[in-house]
Amino acid sequence: MSSGAKLTSSTLLLKSDGRPPWYTPGGKNLPVYMVGIAGGSASGKTSVAKRIVESLDVPWVVIVSMDSFYRQLLPEESKRAFESNHDFDHPTSFDYATAMRVLKDLKEGKATRVPQYDFTTHSPSKETQNVYGASVVIFEGIFALYDAAILEMMDVKIFVDTDSDICLARRIKRDVAERGRDPLGVLQQYDRFVKPAYDGFVRPTMNNADVIIPRGLDNQVAIDLMIQHIKRQLDERNATIMRPVLVDKYCSSTGLRDTLVTLPQSNQVRAMQTILCDRTTSRDDFIFYSDRLSRLIIEHGLGQLPLQHKVVETPMELPYEGYEPLSVVTGVTVLRAGGVMEKALRSVARLANYGKILIVGDQKTHEPRLHYVKLPPSIKDHQVLLMDPTIVSGANAMMAIRICLDHGVLEEHIVFLSLLATPQGVHAIQVAFPKVRIVVALLDAHIGKDELLIKSGYGLFGDRYFGTED
Amino acid sequence: MSLSLQAAEHPRLHQLPQTNQLKALMTIIRDKNTTRGDFVFYSDRVIRLLVEEGLNYLPVVHKEVITPMGIPFEGVSFEGRICGVSIMRAGESMEQGLRDVCTSVRIGKVLIQRDERTAQPKLYYSKLPKDIANRWVLLLDPMLATGGSAMKCIEVLMEAGVREERILFVNLICAPEGALKMLERFPKLQIITAEIDESMDANKFILPGLGDFGDRYFGTED
Repeated sequence: MSSGAKLTSSTLLLKSDGRPPWYTPGGKNLPVYMVGIAGGSASGKTSVAKRIVESLDVPWVVIVSMDSFYRQLLPEESKRAFESNHDFDHPTSFDYATAMRVLKDLKEGKATRVPQYDFTTHSPSKETQNVYGASVVIFEGIFALYDAAILEMMDVKIFVDTDSDICLARRIKRDVAERGRDPLGVLQQYDRFVKPAYDGFVRPTMNNADVIIPRGLDNQVAIDLMIQHIKRQLDERNATIMRPVLVDKYCSSTGLRDTLVTLPQSNQVRAMQTILCDRTTSRDDFIFYSDRLSRLIIEHGLGQLPLQHKVVETPMELPYEGYEPLSVVTGVTVLRAGGVMEKALRSVARLANYGKILIVGDQKTHEPRLHYVKLPPSIKDHQVLLMDPTIVSGANAMMAIRICLDHGVLEEHIVFLSLLATPQGVHAIQVAFPKVRIVVALLDAHIGKDELLIKSGYGLFGDRYFGTED
Repeated sequence: MSLSLQAAEHPRLHQLPQTNQLKALMTIIRDKNTTRGDFVFYSDRVIRLLVEEGLNYLPVVHKEVITPMGIPFEGVSFEGRICGVSIMRAGESMEQGLRDVCTSVRIGKVLIQRDERTAQPKLYYSKLPKDIANRWVLLLDPMLATGGSAMKCIEVLMEAGVREERILFVNLICAPEGALKMLERFPKLQIITAEIDESMDANKFILPGLGDFGDRYFGTED
């Protein structure tokens, strides 16, 4: 076993902690913690940012560099840039509106695209970087503390104040070694642009900082204090979802809203449920009837999506007034068990897109933790069928819905499909996301005594389907 | 009251829930411009729904099971053995839909053609499970027009000992005249269909219909 691997049971191995809930039990995103780090060129901003990331030791920290937001140059500026004669250290070299948009998305917990700057062509690259899932964002650059609107979003503002002789020495070393420049050119550029820009525009932003770190990375004491401060603030914000959802929101199935659609309880549906709930059912039968019931749920779920009128002519040359689908369908499965229902969707909707989300419950707290997300890039324009065979506490479903919303999907475009749900779980989802429709085959009234350990009538669905019981 | 309405209200004629979703599937099947691949795919989808609905008319008995969590669960279990009987050739298109939900189900086949001299349906071939008299029968034929061959087939089944009340006739679309005639002739028969159409033309084609199902499904149009 490599270091960092966590064996949490005899069959489950997790290599990371995953991302804990980043939203309230009401389904609203908590504001993301933002750190701004400014300072002169080669003052050690990036090193300080990296040190903070290392010390926090959590995977959901993102560093956004101001280099991503160099603006598109005008033709004659571009010509000068190729002659190393353009002032990239002037505040007007940056596109603050785009930086603001990206940071605002990140602050609100939305998925966003961060531009990339191509230093060889001196223009923004066509490629953008998809960023999602940061609970802490570090924005670093010479003018990170320059724009008033951006300053407004920062939770803590740091200025790295390194002696300018040291900065110059580092800059010469870096540009010669890494960027292939000659020392004289670097010095000329420093005299003409870097030094005046620093004195005129960068250094004054020190007044906007909460903390000034003299000597940059060498100042271990200041950096440690800073990291402790950030850790404390993050702990205060850490959301706990399970307890408020389950303990405070108990209700009976009669109190549920009409966004819940239960499959008609026909003989076949009831008989299939009985087989799935029976602990003596063989794995063959469990798989067969899960698949069969999934197919019915999928047909029912597709029936929730909007259609438009369409008149066609039959081979008898008579009109038939019917319907056709209105928009693209994306199926998103909550892994592992949701994959079972994806098979059923694939057999009826050949042209659907598929996204996947891996959520694993923490073994001690039962908090859901996000480990993996991959969604179609255009998902915000799609109707989304979210699939998970069981809704127990509702916590996994809420996280999956929150992820879709963070990617721009409209709440009313989401239909959550499940074979079995508890009233508590459905209620928790309905409170947080009142427009999400939920289609289930059975509402299970059997609830365990301990609210944190509600287990559905199927037992552990994924283990029974995949044969991975402990 | 129009014949279609009369048929729709008949207690032994069961239509699938008339949702817009079902209409969207039927729109594709009925459209004369639909490709054969789509015709087969969407017919199969509706057939699956029809088979699931048809099975709901089979009896179940109360059953209590214990869940993996050790809690009793009040449910039901299937009662009664079934088999499928398809009317060749179009009915064979529905066999896979039945097999998908009832693995290793027994399936009988009947070939009935119109006798050119008498214009009456005539039995040419039948091969049925030996113990069919003890089974429920899902009779499969996608189109119910006059009901001539289906009625002939029911006669064959009843001669083999099948009880009338255990026959469920499953089809995609039906003409109201034919459906009502069958239900009158066999007072315990139940019919499960996706949609009830308007009427029939002089050549006994269903209107607005979907053309010849067998030809479109098996690709044997002229």
